[in-house]
Amino acid sequence: MKPFDIVIVGGGGAGLYAAMEAMKTNPSLNIAVLSKVYPNRSHTSAAQGGANAALANKAKDDTVEMHIFDTIKGSDYLADQDAVDILCSEAPKIIRELDNIGTPWSRLDDNTIAQRPFGGAGRPRCCYCADKTGHTILQTLYEQCLKKGVFFFNEYFSLSLSVNNSRMRGLLAMNMKTGKIEAFPAKTVIFATGGYAKMYWNRSSNAAGNTGDGQAIAYRAGIPLKDMEFVQFHPTGLRKSGLLVTEGARGEGGYLVNKDGERFMARYAPEKMELGPRDLVSRSIETEILQDRGFDSPAGKYIHLDLTHLGAELIKSRLPQIREMSMNFEGVDPIEEPIPVRPTAHYSMGGIDTDNYGRTVMDGVYAAGECACVSVHGANRLGGNSLLDILVFGRIAGHTAAEEAGKFEPGVISPEEIKAKDEELRSFMQSSGHYERYGALREELGQTLALNVGIYREASKISRGMDELSLLKERFKKIRVFDSSDIFNTNLMQVLELQNMLDLAETVAAGALAREESRGSHTRNDFPTRDDEKWHKHTIATLDNGTVKLGQKPVTMGRYELQERTY
Amino acid sequence: MHMTGAAEQHKEEKRDITFRVFRFNPQVDIKPYFDDYTIPVERGITVLRALNYIKEHVDPTVSFRAFCQAGICGSCGMRVNGISKLACTTQVWEELDRCKEPGILKVEPLRNMPPIKDLIVDMDPLVDKMKHYMNWIDSSMPESEMGKKEFLVSEDEFLKYDKATDCILCASCVSECTILRAHKEYVSPAVLLKSYRMNVDSRDTIHDTRLAELVKDHGVWDCTHCYRCQETCVKSIPIMDAIHGIRENALEVRGTKDTSGAKHAEAFMDDIAKKGKLVEATLPFRTNGVLWTVKNLLPMAVKMIMKRRTPPPPPMVKPSKGIKAFREEFREMTEHVKDDQQSHNK
Repeated sequence: MKPFDIVIVGGGGAGLYAAMEAMKTNPSLNIAVLSKVYPNRSHTSAAQGGANAALANKAKDDTVEMHIFDTIKGSDYLADQDAVDILCSEAPKIIRELDNIGTPWSRLDDNTIAQRPFGGAGRPRCCYCADKTGHTILQTLYEQCLKKGVFFFNEYFSLSLSVNNSRMRGLLAMNMKTGKIEAFPAKTVIFATGGYAKMYWNRSSNAAGNTGDGQAIAYRAGIPLKDMEFVQFHPTGLRKSGLLVTEGARGEGGYLVNKDGERFMARYAPEKMELGPRDLVSRSIETEILQDRGFDSPAGKYIHLDLTHLGAELIKSRLPQIREMSMNFEGVDPIEEPIPVRPTAHYSMGGIDTDNYGRTVMDGVYAAGECACVSVHGANRLGGNSLLDILVFGRIAGHTAAEEAGKFEPGVISPEEIKAKDEELRSFMQSSGHYERYGALREELGQTLALNVGIYREASKISRGMDELSLLKERFKKIRVFDSSDIFNTNLMQVLELQNMLDLAETVAAGALAREESRGSHTRNDFPTRDDEKWHKHTIATLDNGTVKLGQKPVTMGRYELQERTY
Repeated sequence: MHMTGAAEQHKEEKRDITFRVFRFNPQVDIKPYFDDYTIPVERGITVLRALNYIKEHVDPTVSFRAFCQAGICGSCGMRVNGISKLACTTQVWEELDRCKEPGILKVEPLRNMPPIKDLIVDMDPLVDKMKHYMNWIDSSMPESEMGKKEFLVSEDEFLKYDKATDCILCASCVSECTILRAHKEYVSPAVLLKSYRMNVDSRDTIHDTRLAELVKDHGVWDCTHCYRCQETCVKSIPIMDAIHGIRENALEVRGTKDTSGAKHAEAFMDDIAKKGKLVEATLPFRTNGVLWTVKNLLPMAVKMIMKRRTPPPPPMVKPSKGIKAFREEFREMTEHVKDDQQSHNK
């Protein structure tokens, strides 16, 4: 295959924005987008609430500066302030650009883009399209990429970077339709594969495929990961499935209520109440449940998200998806009854360590979106900032790669390398000594993480979790792919996804054990306070001889000094 | 009896259910077959969760697509008991009443798309059609100006395409479309819906080009109003409104002499206005012209004559009873529509 100038791995918001921007930057470039699903299926479509931008359409006194401060405070001061500056300054531009290329937005009376309040934000600055914002943004970006003639390789599962003497030569991926491993020699590769929170499996709001493929590929190629221990638990996952009820439901005025009928957030965030930041609300719910003020059911303990007082009309017009989901998956119509919810692993703040331009430490390799860690979210992401992150930094990564592709030699990938990879995958299909089933391992992985490296953490539990992870990795060596066919081998794909999750889970647990403080989403019972002296630092995880090696990196400060974070 | 049965069924929280799953691996199978999997299913379990269970615990080779598992991404479109829907939002227990054989749920791939393996079909032809019909906004804003200011769009305009943008491209409508079964080249309901959504967006500049493509063969006029697409839409989108919207817009912009589709519609209107019913014998001439009709329909006409199945000749088609009152109503209605269109255009 002719070498590509840019190979983008992942067809969600970040990947598609990168593709669109790269085409715009230099239309003569040869760009490919590889995605394991059709791009319009990507998890960006699940983002319901919206994207923050200080357009000041709703609150005339909103400013970029306020958005910056809210984001830094929300991150528990672990975000890099120069990166946050870029995120928030670019925000109004990116939202307008999306409007200019056809994204449908809900509108205010003066026909400008509608905005609503969101957790942790001082002003209503979350731009939205009903409760399908991510979906409509994804559709628009996909449409524009089709218009621009981007080459899509749909249903290609990415396997590894081809690296020789720390020089990246391209990517190996499996064509799901044929089972063939194909080489994508490339000058540059952008990883935009989304998050890794699905490692918590049934206690996660994520799509089945949010298995951190890009992070795992980069990690195995020696590229450092950053702040992996920070996994955000969204306060309101549906009790049975972990599926998400958007923060928009609280933004529109929903109450969180315990079994005594009490709006318990008054105890934890008297001012912001239900609209406190996610980490705080999740911990509050978990505390209510642990102190026996939750409801009980065979499917687990939970509390109520009550929307009944909002009225049928508002629920139908502003939160139709939420209503549909709670009816489909809980059998509850939120117009009539409160929705049973509990916290669910939702977002990975950590990811591939990049600079403000999407560059990793390896020449020609970039990352953007949830897959990357710039870091703009630090220890806790604010609602409405994730869509913004993938758009702003997807665009920046696409632009940077397009500008820099010319600097690198086109890569060459040898047939031997492809053959070796093929043999590695075939070995999973051997019957002798291979008997473990991926379903069981995946389930156990999710359970041990939720139990030992969940919302509340402590050294003894995390250590136990790490022991269990080692055992799971041992068992993975005996895993069996029962489907031996070449065509659309989803059995093989799920095993490879499990492998990625297992590798990344170790970095999450190791980071959680090392970080002896509580900050943002990371709460240690044995170290309940923030320790800026020792831990106002990013965690860096690298693969060293098959094990996680931890290091640190300073946080970039700016106008804002460290403060206590209260709401 | 029936009441007691229903009550008993309601109390029952777990039972064995058989999933009769369509299997086809072109690498080894000469033709498709069905595999039966009987598994214990609790109330509240979706078809997708049942399939996941089968894949994890019974047969890892069963192949299907699934991603978000929450009815958002559109990956798991398949036919359950013959109807196209999302496996992830379909409750097994609600399907029990629809089983042809009691307790056996039939699960098959979507129709009208090339099969790949088991429940997986090829989506590429649909994407190609999205490209062919320019299912994107070609913005009136030059690229160099983008990001500087927002378009002002009224909530009314947003509401015109609000429902259409709910589409998740699950392709259930594509699978159910009766025209697609006959003609693979047909534009397809999903692409018509998307085209409509683009055409009513004031930010777009290629409305006319898109419309010109839509009125060609295999385009918007080929729909026969069977409403299957709308009935099966998993997001309850009024797809037929979009199809009618494109047609009305085409008549308005391109006139009634534009294509055979438009002429066909006009001939209908004429007949209804004059006689209150159709003069079927001359419909083909008026729609497609004499030459085309002779060339394409003569053999069929001969057959129809032989079997005495010809429609009555035009002079024999007498106006319907109460035609006077009907004509008055018809006149009022058309004027009403014209008024509506005028005020709408303002």
